[in-house]
Amino acid sequence: MRAVSNLKRKSIARTSLIRTLIFAALVLLVGAQFDAYNQAQLAVVLILFIGVLSITLLTGISGQLSLGQGALMAVGGYSTALLITNYTLSLWVAIPLSVISSAIAGLLLGVAAARLRGPYLAGTTLVIALAIPTIANRFMSVFKGDEGLQVDVGYPPQWFSSLFGEPTYEQWQLYVALPFAGVALFFASNILLSRTGRMWRSIRDNESAASLAGVNFSRQKIYVFVISSTFAGLSGALYGLRGLVGPSVYPVSLSLLLLTAAVLGGIRSITGAFIGTVIVVFLPDWIELILGNFGLSEQVSNFLPALISSLLLILTVVINPAGVAGARLHKHK
Amino acid sequence: MNTFLAALSLGTSRGAIFALVALGLVIVWRGAGIVNFAQMGQAMFSTYIASTLIANGYSYWVAFLAALLSGAALGALLDIFIMRPLSNKKQSELLSSESMRAAVPVIASLGILGALQALAGIIWAAEERGFPAPAKEEGFTVAGNVLPFTSFDVFVVSIVTLTLIVTTLFFTKTGIGLAMRATALNQEVAKLSGIRTNRTRTISWAISGAASSLAGLLITPTSNLSPNTLDLVLIVGFTAAVVGGLDSPVGAVLGGFILGMVISFVTFYDTPEDVFLAILAVLLAVLIIRPRGILGSKDARRV
Amino acid sequence: MLKIDNLVTRFGSVVAIDGISMQAQESKITTVIGANGAGKSTLLRTISGLEHPSSGSITWKGQSIVGMRPENIVRLGIAHVPEGHAVISELSVEENISMGSLFRRRKFKSDITPAIDEMYALFPRLKERRKQLAGTLSGGERQMLAISRALVSRPQLLLLDEPSLGLAPLVVEQIIDSVNTLCRSTGLSVLLVEQNANTALGVADHGVLLALGKVVADRPASELKADAKLRAAYLGY
Repeated sequence: MRAVSNLKRKSIARTSLIRTLIFAALVLLVGAQFDAYNQAQLAVVLILFIGVLSITLLTGISGQLSLGQGALMAVGGYSTALLITNYTLSLWVAIPLSVISSAIAGLLLGVAAARLRGPYLAGTTLVIALAIPTIANRFMSVFKGDEGLQVDVGYPPQWFSSLFGEPTYEQWQLYVALPFAGVALFFASNILLSRTGRMWRSIRDNESAASLAGVNFSRQKIYVFVISSTFAGLSGALYGLRGLVGPSVYPVSLSLLLLTAAVLGGIRSITGAFIGTVIVVFLPDWIELILGNFGLSEQVSNFLPALISSLLLILTVVINPAGVAGARLHKHK
Repeated sequence: MNTFLAALSLGTSRGAIFALVALGLVIVWRGAGIVNFAQMGQAMFSTYIASTLIANGYSYWVAFLAALLSGAALGALLDIFIMRPLSNKKQSELLSSESMRAAVPVIASLGILGALQALAGIIWAAEERGFPAPAKEEGFTVAGNVLPFTSFDVFVVSIVTLTLIVTTLFFTKTGIGLAMRATALNQEVAKLSGIRTNRTRTISWAISGAASSLAGLLITPTSNLSPNTLDLVLIVGFTAAVVGGLDSPVGAVLGGFILGMVISFVTFYDTPEDVFLAILAVLLAVLIIRPRGILGSKDARRV
Repeated sequence: MLKIDNLVTRFGSVVAIDGISMQAQESKITTVIGANGAGKSTLLRTISGLEHPSSGSITWKGQSIVGMRPENIVRLGIAHVPEGHAVISELSVEENISMGSLFRRRKFKSDITPAIDEMYALFPRLKERRKQLAGTLSGGERQMLAISRALVSRPQLLLLDEPSLGLAPLVVEQIIDSVNTLCRSTGLSVLLVEQNANTALGVADHGVLLALGKVVADRPASELKADAKLRAAYLGY
């Protein structure tokens, strides 16, 4: 019995590893064709993809809706920034430590969330996301208020440049984000394919049946929150490293953007998470590309992306709640 | 003593407005099982309509009425075109579990909020604009002392009281009110009694839309009008509704006044910057100590 | 009057009703009996529009009512009292009854109060407790209230689901008697679903025995009652 499940575990890990490697290769290949601006955009896609995965796991797989993933991202971002500025740690050390700190935040949130359902959880997490600017200003000396903390990915180490040549700043952003996105993809894929993923789905689909089958429902809910928070924290850490960690970087609209991406692509699938992230990140560029010649006023073009992504979100939910990657999902079932 | 009176008066007039917002949330929650996060987006939109009318020379009262009507119409349209098709989709695989059935309408309401805010930005530009009050915003003067109570406060408190009375009468004394309560309490029995539950749900959305538009009209003279100004009001209203009990209209009103007092006393005795943390603290405290709220019924927390 | 032909209702992969054909005759009491899980309740729920059949037809006075919403089926004169004393406990007795007549208040304005008064005459105990919340009533009173809520819409056909469930025999007798009297005096048709076959066959004109979603017997009630073999095989006594 044990031998069989070990074998299964190995094959799951292999599948996930292959997926991850293909993903990384594709990103590098496509990234090489892009100009500097689009390379930076691609880096943002990779970073937010990790955040969207946190929603895929939390909402798509275990059925809990949180509107506060931006707050957990902020925890990751502020932790990284403080570790780098106050203790001059390398980002390769600071980021894993920040992921731990957001996991702790997720644990606290999860303990509270295990008691809450549906709209209560959604509302409470929304309030928490809205509280970030207040907290940043309340503890001014630490978080530097609205101004925030300045951090960036810095420069590549000597050995990297001598091995691969001197990358541009945008390329370096991409190269920093890629390994983390790969790790996140690997773990997410592993979770979805494994017994844990099945158990979480059973929580989502039927609480009472799951608890009858001996699933400790509250503990699993907390566990989901912790795992999801590590993803959000990692995403937030990398997001802040683009230059600034401050309230304006982690607004409520960021939480909603992640949710939009997750729903548009397909809230239950990893492919969907990636497709959704690509859509929300590149949407403003595409709109400009299409409508740029119409001479729209600044007022219109500022709000058009938000309008279109909100409308897409509504349409997806009403017409095709399974999202872009939904068709595939149905076939599997 | 004067500070205390000032805090009490601000708490009362703000509390009245928050009571309206919470009531709007509770009406849709009871009537349709949805916490409508777009509610204050709808209110923002109709307040902008009122503001545009005033800017074009119409009187305050014409604009006032237009805002209430457009708030009700918008609420009804959102239900008919978005929420109703959504609730008819329950058969689909994604909505097969209860937790997702609760989550998906919330996601839809966030989409509505985003769309309304972006649309308002496009139509009215995003810069803040003021909004007039129909009554003076200076305190009454008695024997040379300026009291902390303005005629606008009197206006707010009386119009909210009037609204609460009318709403109560509507729900308890009219046939539609009975139909709406029946739908909220037990859809199946309501349908078997011949009540068109789709229609009563739409009416819930319309009433909630009008109530929150009224709240928007009353709060904007003291803040400012921009696509995002009412976000905070929504949070306060949500907290008020949770404090009172999401399924209890009386609780919503009570919760509204409690939140009004908390916010006002924190503003006067501590600092306005701490208001948000105070709201968060109240919300968490209620959820930990008494999750169903002060007047909520035991099984109110339907997923 | 009500004619059901080859009706099939599924819940996912579970077939609750598997090709039922039967009728409810005018001004008669037809009873549907059978063990737990035979599909009796699902049959009534499909007729009243709460569930949608996957195939088959339901014709009411020559008109197909498949696919109609419950709130419109009531308007055609079919009132359903679902299983389990279905009243709204948070509303008063008075409100529960008038809820059933809400849809008539435009067209039959002058008949609303008389209809409600008739219910109080039928079940005087409800009149005494008019202002009480339905949740404070006893099980029997709640069942009376549920029936009144349905009857106040002046239906031609009453679908009654397990009125005896969880009630004392004396109360059951009283409720069944009232329904019987009403049927005989006003010409109301009744489709009575019961697990308690003896009681049901005692008042009914016609009986339909269901097992696992299929009709096993469809005969005059007295014949069914006398058939010891059938009773032993399907009802266990």
